[in-house]
Amino acid sequence: MAISPSWMLIGAIFLIGIWGVIGAANLIKKIIGLSIANSAIIMLFIYFGGQSGETAPIDAGKFGVPVDPIPQALMLTAIVVGICVVAMSLVLVYRLYQRYGTLDADEIERAVWNGDE
Amino acid sequence: MVRAVFSVASMLPLAGTVVILILTTPDVFAGRDLSHVIGGWDAPVAISLRLDGLAWLSSALVAVITGMAGLAALPRKADSRKADGRDAYGPRFYFFLMMLVAGMQTVILTADIFTMFIGFEIISLSAYVLIAYDRTDKALLASLKYLILSSVGILFFLFGVFLLYRDFGTLSLVQMERLIAETGLDGSPIIHLAVSALVVGIGVRTAFIPFHTWLPEAHAYAPHPVSAVLSGVLIKVSFFAMVRLVGIFRGDYLMPLMMWIGGITAVTAVVWALAQSDAKRLLAYHSISQMGYVLAAFGALSVLSVPAAFFHAMSHAFFKSLLFLVAGSAIHMTGERNLFRMQPVGRRAPLLTLFFLIGAASIAGVPPFNGFAGKQMVVAALGTAYPAVPHHFGAAWVKVLLSVASVGTVASFIKLGRIVMPGPKGEGDTDGGPGFLLYLALTVLAAVCLVLGLYGREVMVVLTGLLGPDPGLVPDAAGVPRTLFSRPKLLEALQTVLLGLVVYFLVVSRPGKAVSHLLQRLAPDLRTVLVLFVLGLGLFAGVAYL
Repeated sequence: MAISPSWMLIGAIFLIGIWGVIGAANLIKKIIGLSIANSAIIMLFIYFGGQSGETAPIDAGKFGVPVDPIPQALMLTAIVVGICVVAMSLVLVYRLYQRYGTLDADEIERAVWNGDE
Repeated sequence: MVRAVFSVASMLPLAGTVVILILTTPDVFAGRDLSHVIGGWDAPVAISLRLDGLAWLSSALVAVITGMAGLAALPRKADSRKADGRDAYGPRFYFFLMMLVAGMQTVILTADIFTMFIGFEIISLSAYVLIAYDRTDKALLASLKYLILSSVGILFFLFGVFLLYRDFGTLSLVQMERLIAETGLDGSPIIHLAVSALVVGIGVRTAFIPFHTWLPEAHAYAPHPVSAVLSGVLIKVSFFAMVRLVGIFRGDYLMPLMMWIGGITAVTAVVWALAQSDAKRLLAYHSISQMGYVLAAFGALSVLSVPAAFFHAMSHAFFKSLLFLVAGSAIHMTGERNLFRMQPVGRRAPLLTLFFLIGAASIAGVPPFNGFAGKQMVVAALGTAYPAVPHHFGAAWVKVLLSVASVGTVASFIKLGRIVMPGPKGEGDTDGGPGFLLYLALTVLAAVCLVLGLYGREVMVVLTGLLGPDPGLVPDAAGVPRTLFSRPKLLEALQTVLLGLVVYFLVVSRPGKAVSHLLQRLAPDLRTVLVLFVLGLGLFAGVAYL
């Protein structure tokens, strides 16, 4: 498995997403980072799935050489799941924003944990 | 009234699960795996389910624990003056609880790795909603933390699925098993990397160090029945998935790392637990610690590993959910979570004291409860670890770590015992007190704790038959003692309890309390959590290439 430029590009996108999740102070940016990392994995499946030239298990041979449809089906599912997770995270961030008036992760954490003890 | 009817009705599927499990008992226990393909499609295209010993046992555990927790959640009243539980847990709560069960059963029963991913995501989405159900600030933040960590983890799981699909060309675990048997593909570094990626993705949900940081807050600030289910079964379901995957791909090279992570987790989490003053956070840290025991047994690579790990995981499910329900009830009655400031409920609810004592004795490893049996099984697994390797990769040291953790566990539960000491009589307000349904749930859980403890050896024989590598294996041939209640073991338990008492007095002394406050303030913020996560990833990936 040679490290082709496509691997490096997808890897870079994934790392940008992870960097966003860790490094960004704004909660919305963390969620955007998560979404970017999610996209990187989806691209991985679709790009490398598109190279396989497998026959499809259903309707094989009617339209020339089809691409293996399984990675694409999987990624449709993964995209939907990703959207649900992002939606849920936005709800949580919104509720926290309503309470504290800020989107800064550090400020919110300080406020939440010091509101007690 | 109508809401209550709908709530109960939504739990009927759990009864259906129990019926099906009873009906399939003869087949599964005879060693025949049952499988079913959904939708009538051919095998590689369709989603297929498989019911083997591990799936049967896990499914039963999920149904029973969730049933009891759901039962305990029924009578919450909407008018309480208490700090939490502001809404009655109506049909919406039960909807998400049942969705959680659906996700867990999917992960347990599936024979297909992508369906496992889907199952994990269903579990996650339901868990995010359930953790944040009470809508307190802490619950929202805890849910968000869990969401971020869990989502990053599942991306690694997907990466592992990608690598597997690339090499095997199939998503079905059954077919992968067959391909491995035929071609021995599981030795390549790519597959090792894939397995590590899968384990990391699952590891976040099982909360072993360094992926554990979301757990204390998520389990502590969730509603009480949800904490019981999360600590009771959720962290175990991902562990069982890992057992299945590692079993198929023969990830033996990961095992020493896991054994050591288990031992270190057990001790570290107990130290943090001792420092806590919030009752539920203390219990949550103990969940991490006890899963350390389970991991250590699993990583020991002995013939007893999987049965011993399952025994302890099952015991933990019962006594931890018992403890969370008891603690939740006490918090509900007093409106206070801090165990030093809480007015003890011993006199207002003496039965609650009894259940607390049963739960505490179980987790502390006091005979004749299931913790005592479970810990002996774990030690037996460690004792027969790695027979082909000199010094057994330090299994003896891991045993020492676990003993230290046991002492700490006893001390923490003496500390937590404060909540059930005889205290002031209630002001005639019995509204928030535990009701019949809660006591029913607690009785069932406590009874199972006792039965598992008394019949530990027999249960272990059954488990070894279902889960062990060789169905005909007799446990004492592999190191399980003839009787669990032998004098050396009983003396050992006594010694642990006495040492625990000493540690307790150290912890609640003035310098002890200062150290506790320091440790509490060291709880990591989100950024540190994520950095630890990435380091953990690096560790697992690195082991793949060693």
